[in-house]
Amino acid sequence: MSALWKKTVPVVIVFVTALLVMMDYFVVMPPVNLDGVSWTSNTVRDLQNWGIILTAFTLGFGAVNLFYLHGRHISRRVPNQWMYSLWLLIVIVIFTTVGLSTGPSSDQYSFLYNSSYFALSATVYSSLGFYMTSGLYRALRVRNTESFIFFIIGIVILARNAPALAVYYPSLDALGAWIQNVLTTAPQRGIMIGAALGALSLGIRTMTGRETGFLGRLTEEERAGGRGGE
Amino acid sequence: MITYILQKNKEMKKITSFLVSGRIFALGSLIVFWILVLYNMETAKKSVPTFRKLAGLDAIPEMVGRAAEMNRPVHFTTGLGSLTETVAPQLVAGLAVLAYVSEISANYGVKIIYSVYQAQVMPIATELMREAYIKAGKPEEFHSEEQVRYLSGEQFAYASAVQGIAERERPAANIMVGPFYAESMLFAETFQRIGSIQLAGTARGYQIPFFAVICDYVLIAEEIYAAGAYLSEDPVQVGTIRGQDFGKIAALILMIIGVLLTMAGSNFIVSLLGM
Repeated sequence: MSALWKKTVPVVIVFVTALLVMMDYFVVMPPVNLDGVSWTSNTVRDLQNWGIILTAFTLGFGAVNLFYLHGRHISRRVPNQWMYSLWLLIVIVIFTTVGLSTGPSSDQYSFLYNSSYFALSATVYSSLGFYMTSGLYRALRVRNTESFIFFIIGIVILARNAPALAVYYPSLDALGAWIQNVLTTAPQRGIMIGAALGALSLGIRTMTGRETGFLGRLTEEERAGGRGGE
Repeated sequence: MITYILQKNKEMKKITSFLVSGRIFALGSLIVFWILVLYNMETAKKSVPTFRKLAGLDAIPEMVGRAAEMNRPVHFTTGLGSLTETVAPQLVAGLAVLAYVSEISANYGVKIIYSVYQAQVMPIATELMREAYIKAGKPEEFHSEEQVRYLSGEQFAYASAVQGIAERERPAANIMVGPFYAESMLFAETFQRIGSIQLAGTARGYQIPFFAVICDYVLIAEEIYAAGAYLSEDPVQVGTIRGQDFGKIAALILMIIGVLLTMAGSNFIVSLLGM
């Protein structure tokens, strides 16, 4: 019984859903209505809507989790944490109140969003530049032959992207373009093909009930669908 | 062949096949690949295929052990994954690793913190981690509200929150497996600065170099998809990886033939792929 609910039922749901989505992508399954939409398209659209509804429900879980965790931080006065937790909960309440009372596209909500989250988000994104600089320093340390080649290539690409240097040395542009279009693109495509096949393989394992990682670490009996192993 | 006459936007439209034009070759390839994988799953039952070592996955017990010695938590995140997008396989792969890390953490008595971006992943992750603690015989040590943390559905709010966890709770190990975007560098650098040992894996090509430069262990693209099979030690699952390798060989042969034919002035492979 345990194996039935823990493995068989979820795997059947995954198989049927995935098969429908794939069929909709590759095949026009009759009957087709007058708008040219097959029954699989309608079913897949319904499934996607279910997904949206489920996501909305789970957002409630997220909110409960936030209030529980940060409420505890505040009540316990966790050092270096509770004041941020308090501020977070205040902001959630303000956003929710304004959003529910005036609507998410109102001027008031837009003002709140643009003057707080939007600005903060842009700031965090900008800070990426500093992180990239320190990462670059680490990447360009020459320790062996490979890192020396990496260093030279890195310097060429950096110089190519520096406008002044590219003006004085136009050949940098051609060299940089060759590095990016040939040296970089070729392995990237290899990685992409490998990743696509890997995703397909994972999909097949998941649909056939072999990959059960998303169901947790099953016992041998559960993995075999309650048949006591193979 | 069946012909349907359809009326769409007041225009008559004809569909002369069940198959969607432009996707026929892809469908054929999928079927062949599927057969290859299933065949290899069957043969793997008789002879277990060998699998090259993935240092990153082998290092997980050592990473959790380090956290146990330092009495600090392990941090885990699956990035910006959603279960309804094209990156879903990466997220599923990440969850398989989470299950494994949770089990080891429970065995070692180490607190694992899972940072969630998409609320829809929360119930799955909670169940998965609870199962791991039950399996380890320590269900009372699992506190879902504290260990499975929903941070935000906004990219940089989530990124800031993960950085906050890193700075305040100083995890001894950080494991990131899933789809990552601009926040990859923020995470890797922050955890590196606080001295965490790091394992990162993603199939997003633009982020792999960032992880490769900073993290101690990296899983590159297809390796994250193989993680579940690798960690399960199930021969049948490992068989699918061998099937995948045959797919790679087929793609390589197709590329070589395509290059040769194109050089010879033939457009055959391009037309075939566009079918």
